[in-house]
Amino acid sequence: MAFHLAWRILTHEKLRTVLATAGIFVAILLVFIELGFFVAVPQGGMLIYDHMRFDLLLTSDKYVFQAQSWVFPRAQLADAAKVQGVASATPVYFGSAKWQDPNGGVKPDVFVIGIDPKGRLFSVSDIERQTATLDRADTILVDNTSRSLLGSLTAGRAVDLNGHRVTIGGDYLLGTGFLGLGVMLANEANFFRIFPMQRPEAVNLGLITVNPGSDPAQVAAELRRTLASDLRVFTRDELASHEEAYWTTRTSVGLIFGSGLIVSFIVGIMVLYQTLATQISKHLPEFATLKAVGYTDGFLTLVVLIESFIVVIVAFIPALAAALALYSVFREQTLLPIGLNAIRLFGVLGITMIMAAISSFLSVAALRRADPADVF
Amino acid sequence: MAAAEASPPASRMLPQPRLVPLAWRNLVSNKRRLLRSSAGIAFAVLLMLVQLGFERAFFEVSLAVVRALDGELFIMNASKYRFGTSDPFAHNLLDTAKDVSGVASAAPFYLEWQRFFWKSPEDGKQHLVQVFAFDPDRPVLTIDGVDGQREALKRDDSVLVDRSARPSLGMDKNATESEINGQRVEIVGTFSLGPDFMSDGTIVMGDKTFAKLLAGNREAAAALPVDTGVIKVRPGQDIDQTKRALRAALPPTVTVMTKPELIEFERHYQADLSSAGPIFWLGTIVGFVVGMLISYQIIYTDLSDQLPQYATLKGIGYSTGYISRIVFTQAVLSALAGYIPAWLLCLGVYWVIGRLALLPLHMTLGLTLLSFGLTLAMCLASAAIALRRVTTVDPAEVF
Repeated sequence: MAFHLAWRILTHEKLRTVLATAGIFVAILLVFIELGFFVAVPQGGMLIYDHMRFDLLLTSDKYVFQAQSWVFPRAQLADAAKVQGVASATPVYFGSAKWQDPNGGVKPDVFVIGIDPKGRLFSVSDIERQTATLDRADTILVDNTSRSLLGSLTAGRAVDLNGHRVTIGGDYLLGTGFLGLGVMLANEANFFRIFPMQRPEAVNLGLITVNPGSDPAQVAAELRRTLASDLRVFTRDELASHEEAYWTTRTSVGLIFGSGLIVSFIVGIMVLYQTLATQISKHLPEFATLKAVGYTDGFLTLVVLIESFIVVIVAFIPALAAALALYSVFREQTLLPIGLNAIRLFGVLGITMIMAAISSFLSVAALRRADPADVF
Repeated sequence: MAAAEASPPASRMLPQPRLVPLAWRNLVSNKRRLLRSSAGIAFAVLLMLVQLGFERAFFEVSLAVVRALDGELFIMNASKYRFGTSDPFAHNLLDTAKDVSGVASAAPFYLEWQRFFWKSPEDGKQHLVQVFAFDPDRPVLTIDGVDGQREALKRDDSVLVDRSARPSLGMDKNATESEINGQRVEIVGTFSLGPDFMSDGTIVMGDKTFAKLLAGNREAAAALPVDTGVIKVRPGQDIDQTKRALRAALPPTVTVMTKPELIEFERHYQADLSSAGPIFWLGTIVGFVVGMLISYQIIYTDLSDQLPQYATLKGIGYSTGYISRIVFTQAVLSALAGYIPAWLLCLGVYWVIGRLALLPLHMTLGLTLLSFGLTLAMCLASAAIALRRVTTVDPAEVF
């Protein structure tokens, strides 16, 4: 009965209902977008790690974040390889180089990763396919999401990295995350020709895989016990929370998107309340009449609640669809892992429903006071 | 006015519109509704102001150094794609520049982002910092606190630190000494600049200290490659003419820019090439669209509530033109009623976020005018759409 009445009220003036739904649709969409940014942007710092094969990460204890990782002695990595449960311990080298066309022009800063191609460190099919290319002398693979400032990234083009001539052997799709304008891969020998000042004995990262059946957390504990104290061992989960915490708290990223999220919540709530309150106050005379003919306040509250919930759910579904569409555009543009999990989805739905309920009660308060005789 | 004159004679007996501030009375007649609608518009404005503020702050931090440069013309390597990257040129080019007609002085400015590690005096941790260096006898920066302490920078291993740097660097703790690249330095003073998106803190030092501390450097200060040549033009000399003379005297491997050109060069990089620009753009657009929807909804609702009154006005002979003016005036008043509290609230929001994020979030005249323009535009556009409902109303049908 209550549902039937709520439905009749909503379908009576279709245009107004459509308008109200559209308003709430935008409010929910706004919350989804800001929430997506807030969660996804700090994850940009994990993008490269997410596509690397390792169970544990070994770094210097001065490690700040991926692009400021400091170095530790390669000998320590050899020690790590002997620890029980460790299957492999592979070095990764980082360097920042100036990229320039042989004919001159600007010199953008690019991020170069030095690896042993046989280590199969990246779970990126483009890279695995081009292992042989990486083996060639003075040949690099370039991330094809590197900025246009770098010019053409076609295979065969010669470029100077720190004044050292290399050839682009091919490209791959991974994403540059927060590593700057461009990211590229070189094998160790090529890497040290681009960076003659860096020494192979000083490694930036040690990627450790554990034996099948070994528990990474246990191996991590064992590594921490046996290795020198100026090393740091991260499990994948620890690394993810470390990098996200860095971007959220040590840079302005967390505050910018955090405050965006808070403002979007407030705006969303305002729109929701405004729309529902208007919707209900419009029908005050009808509600007053119902009250006069004997319906209880409780019944009327229920009608209003149902009305609110219908509008909110009807707006929620397209808002969710639009948010997912926008997420996928954003994902393609930035390769950041913006997306939704069940917690966030139901979180937004829950908050929306709670706000709808509060708006309903606030509006019904006006209705309770309504004296049927006054309304007309 | 034209519409009013075309009205039937009966309207001449109606009160002069100017005598009744109808739009104002409409706005304030229902206090509850006024509160609700100004709160709605206020939050839309706040959303835009916060996004615009972040965008401005983002550009402002990256331009702060450029703005603080004490010169009219600047020489940099032509291969530089932005100001904030190390790409120095040969020191002797400054000698060439100095002799160009119109040039009063050509001072070297050294900048480094990758090769200086500062040890926090608090916890001993190492942090990568941004370093500015110059010859203390030839000042190049107008940052408050730097110029007054030039004499102290002449001492060996003396530095000035940024007390507004991120707290983890411990530069705000009144320490008197610390280490840079493993060498002891004396902290002789502080200045306030604040972190940007590339560095957490800044250290200013003399060129000799710079040459000594720079990892891997073997050059004496007088021969160090220069990042930016800061040129002062003789009083009375034309800047553009001097720029052309410099351009002709220097090799094509360097560029010569005026200050506005250098600011535009860095702004172009931040807005169009770095990935941060589009994020703020998107935020501002979302803010405007949401604001538009909110204000439309509010103005439409207000007008619908007052439909009987408008119909009455129309019924007794007021012209459509008069009613339109009322509606637009009301929209402007609504915009103001939402804008003023939002603007005030925003000052608080800027202060809090600015403190927490160490961002230069400032309410400026430009920001005020831009956001008010956007607010007015969204309210007037909303009123124009909603107006149809009022002007097409048939007085007989409303009651």
